[in-house]
Amino acid sequence: MRSTSADRRSLKDSLPVVGGQALRVTALAGALLTAYPPIHLSAQTVDQLALRLSAMTAVTGLEQAMADSLLALVPGSARDRAGNVTLTLGGGNAGGGGPKRLVACPLDEVGYVVGNLTDDGYLTLRRVGTRAAYPLFDQQLEGQPVTVFGAGGSVPGVVAVKSTHLTRGRSAGSDPVFTADNAYVDVGATSRDEVRALGIALLAPVALTKRPHRYGDRLLAAPAAGRRAACAALVAAARAKPRVKGTVVVAFTVQSLYATNAGLGTVQALRGPFDETKQAALATRYTDTAVETVSLKDAEELERELVKWMEGR
Amino acid sequence: MKRTLAALVLLSVSPTVRVSAQDRIAETQTVLSQLVETYGVSEAEGPVREAVKRLLPPWAKSETDSAGNLWVRVGQGDPVVVVIAHLDEIGFRVTAIRDDGALELQPRGGFFASLYEAKPALVHTERGPVPGVFVPRDTGFSRHTPPPLRVDVGTTSRQATEALGIKPGHTVTMPKRFVRLAGTRATGRSFDDRVGDAALLLALRHLDRAAVKHQVIFIWSTREEIGLEGAQGAAAILGTTPRRVHAVDTFVSADSPLELANFAVAPLGQGAAARALDQSSITPPAYVDSLAAVAKARGVKLQVGTTMGGNDGSAFTRYGVVDVALGWPLRYAHSPAELVDLGDVASLADLVQAVAESW
Repeated sequence: MRSTSADRRSLKDSLPVVGGQALRVTALAGALLTAYPPIHLSAQTVDQLALRLSAMTAVTGLEQAMADSLLALVPGSARDRAGNVTLTLGGGNAGGGGPKRLVACPLDEVGYVVGNLTDDGYLTLRRVGTRAAYPLFDQQLEGQPVTVFGAGGSVPGVVAVKSTHLTRGRSAGSDPVFTADNAYVDVGATSRDEVRALGIALLAPVALTKRPHRYGDRLLAAPAAGRRAACAALVAAARAKPRVKGTVVVAFTVQSLYATNAGLGTVQALRGPFDETKQAALATRYTDTAVETVSLKDAEELERELVKWMEGR
Repeated sequence: MKRTLAALVLLSVSPTVRVSAQDRIAETQTVLSQLVETYGVSEAEGPVREAVKRLLPPWAKSETDSAGNLWVRVGQGDPVVVVIAHLDEIGFRVTAIRDDGALELQPRGGFFASLYEAKPALVHTERGPVPGVFVPRDTGFSRHTPPPLRVDVGTTSRQATEALGIKPGHTVTMPKRFVRLAGTRATGRSFDDRVGDAALLLALRHLDRAAVKHQVIFIWSTREEIGLEGAQGAAAILGTTPRRVHAVDTFVSADSPLELANFAVAPLGQGAAARALDQSSITPPAYVDSLAAVAKARGVKLQVGTTMGGNDGSAFTRYGVVDVALGWPLRYAHSPAELVDLGDVASLADLVQAVAESW
């Protein structure tokens, strides 16, 4: 698969703000979103940050747990009404000398929510997110471990697949590509009530179980690894205490993959206008797949570039 | 945890100790999880064989034959009975290293290759596992028939890949974990046939050796997934000596929202399952009846049904040995999402023990 650049949509596409999103993921669920040990706020390298953020799930529109982690990682940051995490460096909103600039990193991903519960304890899914460049995006779920983020924490499950043995001697039919409509999530429950007792309800986020995978020479493979590594670089740059020229607003934006890109629109509406905008992004290989691959060397270089940009060098 | 460990210690010195259902599940998980988290594609079963040896009760003396099968003999005299489960799992073998450093692969066993596509990979070398990724296809977007899979280990030349210690012949898998689900359910990859391996081990741990009135040979076999090759070697060694063979392998269950319910409907949670009819063997009805009687007498939950796939026992039938295949219901067989009920695994172990002691 050819290499492509990460999403570089224009930040000038100012869009209506969608506020008051219901917060459906609890702080407890957030703490359980990853199997990795708690972050220590000192001495976080880009590699460590990228690994950590890649292990998390932030289905577009349901990014609150990831935002909670970023709030903890970026001292002085705050959550706005859309759920974005923002930080102002330099002169502040009141002005002062120099330009007012924005650097943003989208933190969300295309994912799934629970769409229904069957009588015999399976979950069915609805995909959330408008972009799926990889034609087999949904098919990556088939026969794989997934995590359901319920009200009481993360719940492991798997997506059902036919047993190859039972297909032998039977017509495969047209064997169409697997879509989210074919997904039955099995969490081991045998009834709808049992599923509910696990804290799972409609709209609970669902994603492939994430185990970021390092290989080669500082390559990182994971769903949305490019975005997470870019956000890691931006976290590291913001934490490096750059001597900012003018004012720089750092924004980790939500809902970039839904209909109206409401997160970025909110930042622009509430904090703009900006003299210049920059999006933190990295080139990726196997883009939009479960092994989207990013170079951590590139992420480290991006951190340096962002610091220079913030300092106006 | 302490309670579980205490139960396991007791079991190792006193095989006849009875434990609670909860502790039985805990013991089953302790044994099974270690086997599931060990890698062993066909022809590379060494790590699994060593894991089985570590988990044997202290009294058991094991030997390994030239095919790599592991044997433990219990009791003496006729009729000789064989109980056999396979060590190997499905996966890939490296067939070549391309000029761009990527690996070409041959599947080992039957499965949907698409389930590995765009997933993390591990290449098992003498120096340890080398991580990589199964390359997603960029053409031919269909369901279960991707173009031949390749693995990218992050290199750009054959020399760089070779420098990682990778050679043709090495096996390739994806990372796996044993994960508990709701109730007594669990998921992982290679339950087929680590559950069978675990059932033999659990049966031996609980076995009342004084009750065994004839010789029972427990065999953990190699290369089942690529044609029952290990079992064929064991069968040739034993010839016409055994009276019966009990292959202990997956009952591929149609207990799933995706399967036809015409046959193979062995619900999870209803106990062990007799594979009375599969693609490689048919158990004579009288033997099925005897098995059911043994199970009933011992209070072991047993389902009887028909499923697909072959089993190691069929390698013995040409010598006049009757194959009474045993199993447990498995959902999503040969996928990374295989799913079992640990209660069924415990039932299977009880059934193996009952067969050894009282049939």
